[in-house]
Amino acid sequence: MMNWTKCALGLTAMIAFTSFAQAGEVLDKVMADKTMIVATNSEYPPASYLNSEGKFDGFDVDVAKELAKRLGVQATFINPAWEAITSGKWGGRWQMAIGSMTPTPARAQVLDFPAVYYFTPAAFYVHQKASYESLKDLNGKKIGASAGSTYESYLNKTLKLDEAYSPPFDYLVEPGEIRTYETDTNAMDDLRLGDGVRLDAGISSVPNIHEAIKNNYPLRILGEPVFFEPLAVVVAKGDKEFSQKTGAIVEEMRADGTLKALSIKWFGADLVSTKAK
Amino acid sequence: MANVFTLMQHASIRRVFLFIILFGLLINFDYPDNWDISGPVVAAIIAGLIMLNMHLVLYLPFRAQVVVFWFELLTLFMVFFYSFDLSYTFIIERLPLLIFTGIGYTLLVSALSIMIASGIALVGALMRLSNNGAAFAISTFYVSFFRGTPLLLQVYLIYLGLPQLGIILDAIPSGVIALSLCYGAYMTEIFRSGIQAVPKAQTEAALALGLKSWQIMLKVVLPQAIRIIIPPTGNNFIAMLKDSSLVSAMGVMELMYLARTLGRSEFKHFEMLITAALIYWFISFLFELLQGRLEKHFGKSMKR
Repeated sequence: MMNWTKCALGLTAMIAFTSFAQAGEVLDKVMADKTMIVATNSEYPPASYLNSEGKFDGFDVDVAKELAKRLGVQATFINPAWEAITSGKWGGRWQMAIGSMTPTPARAQVLDFPAVYYFTPAAFYVHQKASYESLKDLNGKKIGASAGSTYESYLNKTLKLDEAYSPPFDYLVEPGEIRTYETDTNAMDDLRLGDGVRLDAGISSVPNIHEAIKNNYPLRILGEPVFFEPLAVVVAKGDKEFSQKTGAIVEEMRADGTLKALSIKWFGADLVSTKAK
Repeated sequence: MANVFTLMQHASIRRVFLFIILFGLLINFDYPDNWDISGPVVAAIIAGLIMLNMHLVLYLPFRAQVVVFWFELLTLFMVFFYSFDLSYTFIIERLPLLIFTGIGYTLLVSALSIMIASGIALVGALMRLSNNGAAFAISTFYVSFFRGTPLLLQVYLIYLGLPQLGIILDAIPSGVIALSLCYGAYMTEIFRSGIQAVPKAQTEAALALGLKSWQIMLKVVLPQAIRIIIPPTGNNFIAMLKDSSLVSAMGVMELMYLARTLGRSEFKHFEMLITAALIYWFISFLFELLQGRLEKHFGKSMKR
């Protein structure tokens, strides 16, 4: 019996020690290795995607490279499943995540958000040939979004954005039916079949909708963006020093216009200072 | 019900029935508006042509029939893919990446996993068949858990769960372990059924000859069991080939991951998914050929 208790104690101790990095530990490792492994989500061009050579590319990737450069190290990239990043159980496999993640109170319990680096406007889109004129026309319609996303939360009226970063917003559409998909692109594929065939409208990020239109999807954006989603650089909980240093570098990149220049390069618009109000 | 079967014995009634089914399917498709004849007529003509084609091909010798029908089905598939209006330059540009990196990782992970899984399955089956309560319990518990839970969860347990205990494995070892354990569980049952299918009299005869129990297993039972084990194992390998795409959850650039993400970059996911599908199909086809040869080799004893 005694042995079992000891064993359990030992296991608990191990769990307690491994799940929290010590202060300065991550920073020291990055500086010693001269490389920083950055997790990203390469399924969302132009924020982050895999180019034709199979290399990571996009706005997030450029931001990460610049951030690493200012730390004096090299950035390498990895694309684990989104849940593996949001679970917070990184196991030291990567030190930072720059994959357009929105800080939410739930995520803040397992992850640290040193700085917001840009905002994505979210908007509704409809089929090019559809006759909708304003967002009000979408009330009672079938609307699609990727499952578990902030867009789905917006449709469900359960969107919680951290007030510290995000401008206030209103729920402008009363959906009749919400259809969820694995990604936003699946919803666009359904809408592409024709107005109302499977779907009446969708909600996604403005850059993503523009990218789809550029690739011949018969879509158009309806009305103004409905909310601005703050997107943050993410580090594991525990290493305050690393977190502070990362935050300081991002602020520096904002102040000297680097972030803005990168945003214009990739999105064709300044999504950095969109801090609307 | 019995009446239906008696009716079906008449060839003409069978043909009418088949025609109705074909017509019912074909009428659902969109036909070009600029054709002079209406949809139902087109559907009827195509249904008639299909039946005429089947009827004519059946005059050929068996092998020729198979070749002709394979070719026709393949052409139909190609027409279906062609209707997506794919961008071939996009595919060709990314094909080397899919082939060298993608297939490389997919084959590496699947081949390692199937070998380890076979080892696990052999041990698992022997434990399952033993009279030792602990061995039996461990084996049945293992099979029950790994067959009964989703593979993705097992991948996460190993990749994200084990670090909680201080064991940090890289993506590929985690994936190989998860796949091996999961498929090992399915294959334990295959191995057990193979071993049990060898008549008891074989063991008894070997015992009478004075062979030790390990000799009986190794030299008498297993060689005969393998013949029965191979077809379902081949089945499992092909399933694993595709399930290995789950290691992409850990950022491994295997075939399915590359297909998904490369396609996403320019909203050309059909291009990449269809290419990946054809590659998977080709690999499984090669494996089917290999399996056929193995079956022939181990089936020698059944031929006289």
